[in-house]
Amino acid sequence: MTTTPVPNISAKLVDVTKRFGSATAVDRLNVDIRRGEFLSILGPSGCGKTTTLRMLAGFEIPTEGEIFLDGRSVTKVPPYKRNVNTVFQSYALFGHLSVADNVAFGLRRRKVAKAEVTRRVGEMLELVRLGDRRNAKPSELSGGQQQRVALARALVNMPAILLLDEPLGALDLKLRREMQIELKRIQREVEVTFVFVTHDQEEALTMSDRVAVMNDGVLQQVGRPVEVYDRPVNGFVAGFIGTSNLMPGVVAGNRINLGDGLSVPRHGDHAGLQDGDRVTLSVRPERVAIGAELETGQVQFAAEVSDVIFLGATTHVAVRLPGDRRLVAIHTHARGETVERGDRVVVGWWPQEAMLLREPS
Amino acid sequence: MSATLTDQRDSAVQSRTFPWHVARRPRPRQFDRPRFLVLVSVFTMALLFVPVVVVLLYSFNGTNSLVQFGGFSLHWYSSALGNASIRTSLWTSLEIALVTTALSAVVGTMLAFGLERGSRRMVQVSDSALVARLVAPETATAIALLLLFTQLGIGLTRTAVIAGHVALCLPFVAVVIRSRVAGLNREVEEAAMDLGCTRLGAMRLVALPLLWPAIAGASMLAFVLSFDDFVTSYFISGVGVTPLPVLIYSMLRFGVTPAVNAIGVMMMILTMAVIALAVPLLRLGRRRLAVSQPD
Repeated sequence: MTTTPVPNISAKLVDVTKRFGSATAVDRLNVDIRRGEFLSILGPSGCGKTTTLRMLAGFEIPTEGEIFLDGRSVTKVPPYKRNVNTVFQSYALFGHLSVADNVAFGLRRRKVAKAEVTRRVGEMLELVRLGDRRNAKPSELSGGQQQRVALARALVNMPAILLLDEPLGALDLKLRREMQIELKRIQREVEVTFVFVTHDQEEALTMSDRVAVMNDGVLQQVGRPVEVYDRPVNGFVAGFIGTSNLMPGVVAGNRINLGDGLSVPRHGDHAGLQDGDRVTLSVRPERVAIGAELETGQVQFAAEVSDVIFLGATTHVAVRLPGDRRLVAIHTHARGETVERGDRVVVGWWPQEAMLLREPS
Repeated sequence: MSATLTDQRDSAVQSRTFPWHVARRPRPRQFDRPRFLVLVSVFTMALLFVPVVVVLLYSFNGTNSLVQFGGFSLHWYSSALGNASIRTSLWTSLEIALVTTALSAVVGTMLAFGLERGSRRMVQVSDSALVARLVAPETATAIALLLLFTQLGIGLTRTAVIAGHVALCLPFVAVVIRSRVAGLNREVEEAAMDLGCTRLGAMRLVALPLLWPAIAGASMLAFVLSFDDFVTSYFISGVGVTPLPVLIYSMLRFGVTPAVNAIGVMMMILTMAVIALAVPLLRLGRRRLAVSQPD
């Protein structure tokens, strides 16, 4: 079965479900992977992100649904017949081969001419800055270097999609940051579609063109990093990407009643919401203003400062609203003003910056 | 610059701590002081090596005696190698050992993969069968094989001896290789398939090269076991098939000549050479696997 190839779509997952015994790892996943994009699949461990990647690579066959690659169904095509390559979590380098032979492995399997193999391997090793280590054995390299060999070995085949399974997980924080920038640079240079699996939301936000958030095998939301951050579709996304102040409330006309006499105006288009519906209001800490930062037009509440955590550039201020509601505000010292524990202050936010989630939390 | 600094610091630490180190070492208490350590060691070493040394020494004996040493001579070596039946037996033993080694290596490797990756029920059954074969008394299994081969009408041929030896070596080979298969990272084979190998290609190009030191080491173990084996060979080998250990035994019955010593020394050297090759190979295998393992 084929569909007409859409020029901008590299891969298409249609109703893909994967069950292991009675456990459902991936549940009716639908997603289009655009050509040349950097797509991150983000979620906590066990959310089905690695299973999704393994189905794209061909190591797992979906229980139901279909996977299309460049318009061709590859649902049951074995990995060695797919134009897809993987960077494994453990790197999985071939310990008995040199760096250059590791990188040349895929080209040689496809019977590429000798001179071209040498040329492409050389170019690829330059791209990952390992030109001088071509004859080394993997065991002689550092973790970061091994990681780059794994990347070069996959990328040299010019796959339609490069799959990366938490490739930075084993590196220390500093090396991780460097590799994030490095990966992004390489992706821009080679213009290959990257599908990057991670549980690190910061990594996903900084590197991706789009982020797909998964939980319990179900795709929650796909969108540009700023979209999933500013417009999360539910409490899981709001809580998993960044932190958020979540407040339960009830719809009452064009206001949301938060209880204890607190209410805020409803904002935005939420068709279908009726009076009495239970919702959750989500406000990012950096959107919460304190004291002199407040401007007219913002919703405002009296509160008491319960904790102040100084972090250099910013200060996290925890405040208590009536009814023991807790809020965290990120204070930027823009006005040179400081607050202390026990201070009575006024906090508030722009109604349009508060996100209304259609579910009780 | 930094190197010299480190050197100085190291030597300073050493000179400062060394005398203290000696003085501070706790005195052994009365009950755990190794009073007979030297005695026991010497006795054990003597038990192990005196016979070997005697055989080695008397293989160079100039006289026809097994008890009196009468000058250095290579006479018994030339006598042993000049004896047609000894030469035939040596070739028989070598041939049996080589074929046994090849068969055990191939079947043992497959068995190792099966044991490591098969379904749980199959593994349980084959695992216990393997252990049973490891601990079963060799005499019992040899008699069983003798009965089996005569019943089946196979007869006591060279093939029968090889079959018996493969059965003997297989558990050892499988156990050694299996532990290495267990250390093989599955993602490495997946990576090979990801890069265009079929399942079999991944095995040939990636898994086997990573495992071959272990396979070679296990093969040498099989070679030594087979070349040296007496019990199974004695029961199964019929007329015309006389492995070296069986021949030596029969020579002892019809009057011993010091040529036996020379044969013994030659067998020992061959066996030790094979073992000396096997140990570094097994070590190399461990190092190779270390790269392909997740942290």
